[in-house]
Amino acid sequence: MIFLSAFINAEVVDVRQHRVGRVRDLVVVMTEPFPHVTGVILKGNRRVRSIDWSVVRSWDDKELSLKVDEAGLQPHARVDNELWLSRQILDKQIVDMDGRRVVRVNDLQLSQVEGSLLLVGVDVGSRGLARRVGVEGLGRWLTAMLHLDWPQKLISWEAVDPVTSDVSSVKLRIAHTKLAKMHPADIADIVNELSPDDRSAVFAALSDEKAADTLEEIDEPHMQASILERLDVDRASDILEAMAPDEVADLLADMPRERAQQLLQKMEEDEAEDVEELLAYREDTAGGLMTTEYVAVLHTLTAAEAIERLRELEPDAESVYYVYVIDEEEHLLGVLSLRDLIVAKPETKIRDFMIKNVISVGVDAGPREVAEITAKYNLLAVPVVDQHNRIQGIVTVDDVMERVMPARGGGRRRRIF
Amino acid sequence: MGQPKPPTRPQIPRLRSPTWRTLGIRLPRLALFAVVGPGLISGFADNDAGGITTYSVVGAQFGYDLMWVVLASMIALGITQEVGARLGLATGQGFGGLLRERFGVRGAGFAIFTMLLANLGDTVAEFAGIGASLALFGVPVPLSAGVAALLVIVFLWRANFGRVQYVFIAVGVGTSIAYAVSATFAHPDWGQALTRAVIPRGTLTAAYLLAVLGTVGTTITPWGQAFIQSYVADKNLRPKDLPWSRLDVGLAAFLTNVVAAFIVVACAATLWAHGQTSINSAADAAKALGPLAGHFAQTLFAIGLFTASVLGLGTVPLTSTYVATEAFGWERGLDRGWRQAPVFYALLSFFVGFSALFVLIPGLPLIAVMYLSQVFDGLLLPIILVFVMLMARDRRLLGNLTSGPILQTLGWTVTGLISLLSVALVISEIAPH
Repeated sequence: MIFLSAFINAEVVDVRQHRVGRVRDLVVVMTEPFPHVTGVILKGNRRVRSIDWSVVRSWDDKELSLKVDEAGLQPHARVDNELWLSRQILDKQIVDMDGRRVVRVNDLQLSQVEGSLLLVGVDVGSRGLARRVGVEGLGRWLTAMLHLDWPQKLISWEAVDPVTSDVSSVKLRIAHTKLAKMHPADIADIVNELSPDDRSAVFAALSDEKAADTLEEIDEPHMQASILERLDVDRASDILEAMAPDEVADLLADMPRERAQQLLQKMEEDEAEDVEELLAYREDTAGGLMTTEYVAVLHTLTAAEAIERLRELEPDAESVYYVYVIDEEEHLLGVLSLRDLIVAKPETKIRDFMIKNVISVGVDAGPREVAEITAKYNLLAVPVVDQHNRIQGIVTVDDVMERVMPARGGGRRRRIF
Repeated sequence: MGQPKPPTRPQIPRLRSPTWRTLGIRLPRLALFAVVGPGLISGFADNDAGGITTYSVVGAQFGYDLMWVVLASMIALGITQEVGARLGLATGQGFGGLLRERFGVRGAGFAIFTMLLANLGDTVAEFAGIGASLALFGVPVPLSAGVAALLVIVFLWRANFGRVQYVFIAVGVGTSIAYAVSATFAHPDWGQALTRAVIPRGTLTAAYLLAVLGTVGTTITPWGQAFIQSYVADKNLRPKDLPWSRLDVGLAAFLTNVVAAFIVVACAATLWAHGQTSINSAADAAKALGPLAGHFAQTLFAIGLFTASVLGLGTVPLTSTYVATEAFGWERGLDRGWRQAPVFYALLSFFVGFSALFVLIPGLPLIAVMYLSQVFDGLLLPIILVFVMLMARDRRLLGNLTSGPILQTLGWTVTGLISLLSVALVISEIAPH
């Protein structure tokens, strides 16, 4: 197996066996599926320069010999999507897509295929570490003596997503296409482990909807805010628009005011209004927990008209648990399930078959009260009303559970610092 | 993007609600505490078993002579902690991760091995502190070492050290005040104390060098350097939080060393002034609290030393393992299980197990162990500081937060001076004459 560590510091000699320098780094171009080596960065005579891979004749772990003499050396042709392996990948964090976790690159595996050298794998195991320190041989000898197996831990390049973002050099655009396909909850876990720059790089690659879902999954206002702050205002407000208003309100409440206000102004007016309303409620009340995404229809409609209205609204899955029935002043009159609507005769007025005594909570109700009511009546969502019984929003069961019980995975993230 | 709207909404005129801004509902929660904190916690954990003991020994042995070291350490601590905070703020990376990315496997391995060694010394000191403090109540060391190990396990298992931490810090504050009051009651020579803070005095003996390095080593610690950076990064503080962070670390450096100064003064005025220049047991050290607490001095001292030790025990081993596993990419964190993060827990167990067993050595002079562990810290400190300062000037890593020429000069001066001190001590130990 060929590893990057074997190249680093190898002596470079030209065709006349003159010493030219030592290998500093290898340059690859990001081709699919595997990047291929196009150049060598070397240091000799107190200067750093690059040479094209095509002039390399042969190599082993001590020496890299060239086909030409020193005078005939040309720098490699620079392209946009190139990567310096040692500087930008080695020792950095990388996302292991299959294991859905962030790992550190201990070494890089290369492979010679039809005359070109390809980057095929990432070493994330202890053997890679040992190799870097120069004790892999010793370790192999020891494990062999003890009849132990010491496997390589390699991940195929196809199954990783480099997250590196270099602040100084040419900004490398990594598509993160693989990462973008993962489930938002997985992306959230991964993003958790990354540095702020890498986080923004990942978010830059996600679609607005995916970014919104991921942000909702992150569940830690401080981190959410820090991610949004590094995105430009337009992009950040686009993502916010795709999020549920209650989540947006939670998030903005943790941001510096000017920035929050700036974001609100950039958002569509309707969305911004919803969020501002929610922001007016204290966080530990039904008002603070609720979302304004719910389905309400006028009591004068017939079943058929109500269904038609639903088609127009295209509500999210979360908000279609119940259809609330209201009068012209938004007073909550009744509630319907989708099933009720569908089985009813099309021309029946909905006020004739709706359930009239709706269970609801006031905007000032505490989370525990909301939880008790949802549990007692087996509700998926409970409407929130003001003192005049006007509907203000709904609290969905997942939001209230999250508040009352420790978060998913048996507890919040346990802090060390 | 069209989110569903209840049908009647648009028809109802509604007032924009400016309340959350104008009335200040939903203030960013404790934004101030999130920022002002890491340095202070690190500072208080700094005055741990090793800290209290070292300051006591120094005060008893040299009176006010070493006050200048306390002042110098204060300045140096402020500088190094600011550098650490900048590293965390700019990169969002913990100490271990950044070391690895900047220096590769070998460099990071060396730095982390050094830090682990120093921290192991510190952890032993914490156990010794628990042993020494409980011994004042007649608890035999093997029993207290067992209790301490158990305490750590409970903390890690039940976690939320974050909250408990504040209880310990509160006791720490109490102890500090006790020292300040006791120092005042003891009628110290304040003029002398202040003069010696500015004008150094003393003869360059091996014991003097040992005391100087111990004082520096207990104030500026390898783990403290890792702690501040990782904490800042883990709390997602951002480059714009630098002013707050500076305030935090500055205040912490000041308070930590004011407390140190009071301990030194209290010991100078009680022990040294009455000719008792050596501290051989916790009971000796407790006499410094006599002017305040009289017969209860021992109890007070025991409580102070005990909580300081436990606070250190909750911080040092965890910081060490976190940094090491972060650098080498091993799974880590208290929310992972043994199976998921075997190296993390193995290292943690080693720290706790080794230290608990170490203090079981029969006849081990606990005070000397605590004191010398801090000297050991001081000896290893220059190595860590060199790594820190190399990172601090790396524009590729830090961007705008790269240390300017002033901070660079100060940082390297501190590093250089401590290195000199370490070399001098080693030479004086090898060739005493």
